[in-house]
Amino acid sequence: MATITRIPPNRTRFMPRTPGVEGPYRMTPQIALRLGVLGAIVLFVFAVLFFRLWALQVLAGETYLAAAQNNQLRTIRIEAPRGPIYDDKGRTIVGNKLALEVRVWPASLPRRQRARFFRKLSGVLGVPAAELQKRFREQLKADPLKPVTLEEDVSKDVAVYLRERQREYPGLTIEETYLRDYPLGSLAAQLLGHVGSVTPEQVKSKKFLSGDHVGQSGIESSFDRYLRGRAGQAVLRVDSLGRPRGRPRFSAFSEMGLAVRLTVDADLQYASQKALAYGIQAARNDHQWAADGGAIVALDPRTGAVKAMASSPTFDPRIYVGKVNPRNLKPLLDERTAEEQNHPGLNRATSGLYPPGSTWKPVTALAAMHNRLVSAYTPLSCTGSMKIDGTTFKNWDPYANESMTLTHALAASCDTYFYQLGLDFYNLPAQYGSPFQEWAGAVGFGKATGFDVGGEETGLLPTPQWRRRTFSSEIDKLWKSGDSVQLAIGQKDLLVTPLQMARFYALIANGGRLVTPHVVSSVEQAGNRGAVKAIFSPPPHQVNVRPDELRAVQDGLYEATHASYGTSSGVFGAFPVPIAGKTGTAEKSVNGIMFDQSWWCGYGPTSKPELVVCALIENGGHGGTAAAPAALKVFESYFGKRATFQTYVPSD
Amino acid sequence: MFAALIALVGYGLWAVDGVTRHDVAGDPEYYIYRQLVFAVIGSLGMIGVLFVDPEYYRRYRKVLYAGLIFLLLLVMAMGTDARGSTRWISLGFFQFQPSEFGKLLLAIVLAGVLATRGRRIGEWRTVAVAVGVAALPTLLVFMQPDIGTALVYGAILAATLFFAGARWRHLGILAAVAVLVGTVVLWLAPALGIDILAPYQRARITAFLHPSDNPQGAAYNINQSITAVGSGGSTGRGVAGATQTNLDYLPEHHTDFVFASIAEQRGFVGASVLLLLYLLLIWRGVRVIATARDPFCATVAGAIVFALLFQIFVNVGMTIGIAPITGIPLPFVSVGGSAMVTNLIAIGVLQAIAMRRR
Repeated sequence: MATITRIPPNRTRFMPRTPGVEGPYRMTPQIALRLGVLGAIVLFVFAVLFFRLWALQVLAGETYLAAAQNNQLRTIRIEAPRGPIYDDKGRTIVGNKLALEVRVWPASLPRRQRARFFRKLSGVLGVPAAELQKRFREQLKADPLKPVTLEEDVSKDVAVYLRERQREYPGLTIEETYLRDYPLGSLAAQLLGHVGSVTPEQVKSKKFLSGDHVGQSGIESSFDRYLRGRAGQAVLRVDSLGRPRGRPRFSAFSEMGLAVRLTVDADLQYASQKALAYGIQAARNDHQWAADGGAIVALDPRTGAVKAMASSPTFDPRIYVGKVNPRNLKPLLDERTAEEQNHPGLNRATSGLYPPGSTWKPVTALAAMHNRLVSAYTPLSCTGSMKIDGTTFKNWDPYANESMTLTHALAASCDTYFYQLGLDFYNLPAQYGSPFQEWAGAVGFGKATGFDVGGEETGLLPTPQWRRRTFSSEIDKLWKSGDSVQLAIGQKDLLVTPLQMARFYALIANGGRLVTPHVVSSVEQAGNRGAVKAIFSPPPHQVNVRPDELRAVQDGLYEATHASYGTSSGVFGAFPVPIAGKTGTAEKSVNGIMFDQSWWCGYGPTSKPELVVCALIENGGHGGTAAAPAALKVFESYFGKRATFQTYVPSD
Repeated sequence: MFAALIALVGYGLWAVDGVTRHDVAGDPEYYIYRQLVFAVIGSLGMIGVLFVDPEYYRRYRKVLYAGLIFLLLLVMAMGTDARGSTRWISLGFFQFQPSEFGKLLLAIVLAGVLATRGRRIGEWRTVAVAVGVAALPTLLVFMQPDIGTALVYGAILAATLFFAGARWRHLGILAAVAVLVGTVVLWLAPALGIDILAPYQRARITAFLHPSDNPQGAAYNINQSITAVGSGGSTGRGVAGATQTNLDYLPEHHTDFVFASIAEQRGFVGASVLLLLYLLLIWRGVRVIATARDPFCATVAGAIVFALLFQIFVNVGMTIGIAPITGIPLPFVSVGGSAMVTNLIAIGVLQAIAMRRR
């Protein structure tokens, strides 16, 4: 089969012909065609490649260069340290401490590895994987580009462990952050408030970015825009696993927040908290087993500056810091637990509502004098009880039977004296309106005091209109004589806050000026001698009260603490600094049972009053047994002196 | 052709040096050293092959075929697993990848089968026989799983049929069948719930059609690769400045995506030089086909050249987003011993054919 063809002699061969192979492979048209096809394919392929390369590199090169650079640059937000909170003498009540937090860049954590990632991390951090994933999901939803904070405040060991194993945890970073520090322990916890991570709603409002820390309650919240400072920014090169390469370059430095200086005196605050505990214990010693809370407000009657504000029960603010244990937060956040533990998160000084009882009598006295229903010197009879419109109203002292002037009636806290005043108000012709309530409103009841930390209650000042609005049955809609009578001694529907009471007693103390209670005195640069940026000193305004009428009330309060018939003489009589003030034992219905709320409000020194103290012991029984001794402890701390002798007078 | 080859290999080595400089901490020459060793081994093989008359290949085609099947079965039995595929046999110093060498073997075997049939190439039966012969190794490779190399085997089959002289009609029918099979595997069967390919494999193949769909998934590689290539600009970012490569954004930058890495580092200029060298080499190869001594040699030459072209196109195309992602290495450049040696020996066979031309 092999046909051997002659080889033209002028063709050289490199190798000898191999036998058995078919004839020469001639270039037939078909072969040429196929070769042509191949050649065309080759040219086409390379043309395509060249053109595509040209398009990508020369034409669109800059775009891709930018994309490549973006790939590896991460912008990190450097959170600024929050401004500290000082007391009036510059001591740090709330400061900052450095902590390490664990964060992850979502873009560097591939979806497939997520489950394993959280499982391993859960073992290292000691937080359940489900909880970590929940935090991841929530923050991712709020802002998919920012790093997600998985755990705040991890120990150095954990941080080092994780840093060494970057490869196993793609996208993980350990960053420094600032956490709140409370060097003086649990002081005014409700007033100070707490700082927490931004909630999804807050992020939505566009005022904050995901991952920020924002004051969520109390002073931290009300003054957040001063305390927060300004975040800085740095740019960091990372590789595809999110690991940093090189040092971050700062494009903006962070600015520390401004410091807030309070009017509060840390020593007096501490003494007030102890006094509150003392008062509750005193109540229990007096068989008032239900006594379990209370409030003390101490303010300067000249300016309205709050020197101390204590509320019991209270909590340790450190439970909000760093590794938050949800169980600790339950008494503050969960309705049922809060109820069981008597609402430790509530600031009773501004938001606790109670009937004032006999501490209200100076209001009635001034209102009656102002409306010419009584004069300071006209004696009225004080008896054991009174019958009005068929109802018998009792005096706390069933054996009382003498005529008293206003001053004496205040000091002895004679209920029947004030019942008569209440009845006089009730008997006024309709066109006078409700002058009693108007007067009470003028001295700050039934409305906010203007306190500079949010969340105060306005209380309830009952009026005939209020009755008509609130009740549905015909009988209840009527304002009866009994309402006016009870209002005169601070009972029934009337509700006030301890702060409102303190403000009123400041008015008595300072000669008729209504101050605006405030707790922040200035905002300044943090540090020893930081420049002051703003000063807050709302001016008091004069109320229309005649000096001699005020004098009568002041005398009454002085006699209450020094005369033999005074209801708290046993407590304050032997105190070296002259204190004037009024007890109160207010009946309040708690879950259907009537409990006596123990009150005492007063001021000192009486010649030139510097401090007003209002103490309330919840369910504490008589004012003289629980609240008055508590208030005395506050005065003792303030003046640095002790009472030489005390007795308790079970009275009102 | 040798000049082109030497230039190509040399350029490839230099380029890869830059690409892999930052890969192994403390040993910037690690990969280059290995590549050099394989280049030398391959060159020795290449020179050795020059002395073998291609006719021997044809004569012992059945032996070679048996050897090919044996090697592929061996891999299946005792191969080492890497990232989900069993392609390598570990031989101490390096990993031997039989499917690479199989490309050359298959080309030779198929060419032998077809050339021996002579005139009967025009018959349908011959074509069927060729398809059957190629099917077994292709299937074995496919099951490794190595879709890319299986595709190359398919390309080799097509090339051998084409250059052996099969009728256009038969070629057309085969092409249509191939397209049909592709459509069924990629779209129809999955729609019915039958998964011939695993979903991730499907995704890799179709991702280049819509890269912006899933930035973190299959299209991630493509996007990073395109970014790498584009960012090279006209003159490249240099070895130190090539962040896509150095910071690991570009995966497999020393094997599958080495072209993107070179494009990033050397820019349009550098990448074009590489492409031109390839073009030169291929063009020389085409000339060998034209002047081959007999149908067998022509077919072998055609298959080798086409296989080279196919691999270049698919690999480079993958890095610039116009071809699906497959695990095909870039000839003479990608870091990989088996590929380098195989390709050098293949050029040796090509040269052997050229030396015995008409």
